[in-house]
Amino acid sequence: MSKVTINIDGKEVQAESGQTVLDTALANGIYIPHLCHHPELKPRGVCRLCLMEMADGELITACRMPVIAGMVVKTKTKKVDKAIRPTVELLIAYHHDTCRGCPAIGKCELQTVMSHLKIDRKRVRRLRPPPAKKPLDKMNSSFDYDPNRCVLCGVCINTCEDIHGVSLLYYVGRGHETKVAFYGDEKKCESCLECLARCPVGGLMLKKPVEVRH
Amino acid sequence: MDANLIDARVEEILSTHGKGANKLVPILLAAQDAFGYLPGNVIQHVGEFLAISLGQIYSVASFYKRFQLTPVGKRRVTVCRGTACHIRGAPQIVNEIEQTIGIKEGETSADLEYTLETVACIGCCALAPCLKVNEAVHGAMTPRKAGVLFTDVSGNKNA
Ligand code: SF4
Ligand code: SF4
Ligand code: FES
Repeated sequence: MSKVTINIDGKEVQAESGQTVLDTALANGIYIPHLCHHPELKPRGVCRLCLMEMADGELITACRMPVIAGMVVKTKTKKVDKAIRPTVELLIAYHHDTCRGCPAIGKCELQTVMSHLKIDRKRVRRLRPPPAKKPLDKMNSSFDYDPNRCVLCGVCINTCEDIHGVSLLYYVGRGHETKVAFYGDEKKCESCLECLARCPVGGLMLKKPVEVRH
Repeated sequence: MDANLIDARVEEILSTHGKGANKLVPILLAAQDAFGYLPGNVIQHVGEFLAISLGQIYSVASFYKRFQLTPVGKRRVTVCRGTACHIRGAPQIVNEIEQTIGIKEGETSADLEYTLETVACIGCCALAPCLKVNEAVHGAMTPRKAGVLFTDVSGNKNA
C-alpha cells in the first residue's frame, strides 16, 4: 500500500491509497458529519451528511470517495452547509424532542452532528410536525425499536446483511412512515446484537430485563 | 380462490418471469393483478423461488401503493381528497359513504364487497369532487349523489 498526501480543509494529511476521504479525515482528527458510515461496512452513501466540496465546486460524499494524490477538499464551506443543514434539521424535527431516557446518550452520532453544525433548536422546533409519538416496536425477545429515534441510516440492515448473508431487517413503508422491521423473520434472528451495537443513535435498544417475582 | 388454484397460478406467474432479484417487482405486479392483493403464502412462495427474504419482499410491497397486503373488496372506492375536491366537499362525501356502506376510510367490508380509500389526486380536478369505483370515475359528486350511488350499486343501504 502506498501513501498519498491529500489536503482537507487546508491541512495536509497522509492516507493509504484506497482509503476513503472520510476515514482519512476521521483518523486525522478532522470531523465530517456522518450517520450511515460504519468502519466495518461497505459505504452506502445514503445519509448525505458527509458531503464535501471538491476543488471544482462539486459536492461529493466523503464516505464513498477514495483518496487521490494531491486532491484538495473542503468540508466546511457555505455550499456544504447549505446542503446538509436542512437534512439534519429535518432529521431532528422528526426525532424525539428530548434525549432524556435515550440509551445512546453520550455516544449518539446525531448529537455530535448537531453540536458540530451548531443547530438552532428554536428553528427546528418550528419544523416539528404535530406531536404524534409513534409507539415502540417490540421487535423480538431481545430488543425493541424506537421509530421516534431511528434516523433510517440503514446501518442495522446492512450489518445484518453483511454478517448473515441476507438481512432479516428491512425498511418498511415509505415517506415519513418508513421504519425498520422484521417481517416474519424475527425467529431467525440469532440475537448477535451487532445491529444494535452499531446503530449510531438510540433506534434499537435492549429489552429491560423483566424482574421475576417469586 | 382455493389454495390449489392459487398455487397453480403462482407457479405459472413464476415460471413466465424466471429467476433473478430484478424480477421481484414484475412478479409482485402479476400476483397483485391475479389475486387483487398479495396473500401471505404467495409472498412466501415468491421468496422461496427468488431466494430472497420475506423482509425484502415486504419492504418493496409496502413501499408502493400499487401493492395491497390485505384483500381488497370487489368494489374499490377511491375518493379524491386533492385540493379541488377537498374544497368542494370531499370530506362530507367520504363521511356519507362511510355511513352508507358502513366501513371507515382504509377499511374493507367483511363480505369483501367494498374497500374505501382516499388518494391525493385522481387527476380530474375539473370534475371535483370526484371518486372512482374500480376504474369508473364519478364526477361532480354531492353527499346525496354518493349516497344514492352506493345504495343503488348494492341494491340496499348498509350492504
Ligand atoms: S441481532 Fe443479529 S441476526 Fe438479529 S437482526 Fe440484528 S444483526 Fe440480524
Ligand atoms: S435503527 Fe439505528 S441503525 Fe437501524 S436504521 Fe435506525 S438509526 Fe440506523
Ligand atoms: S456517511 Fe457518507 S453518506 Fe452517510
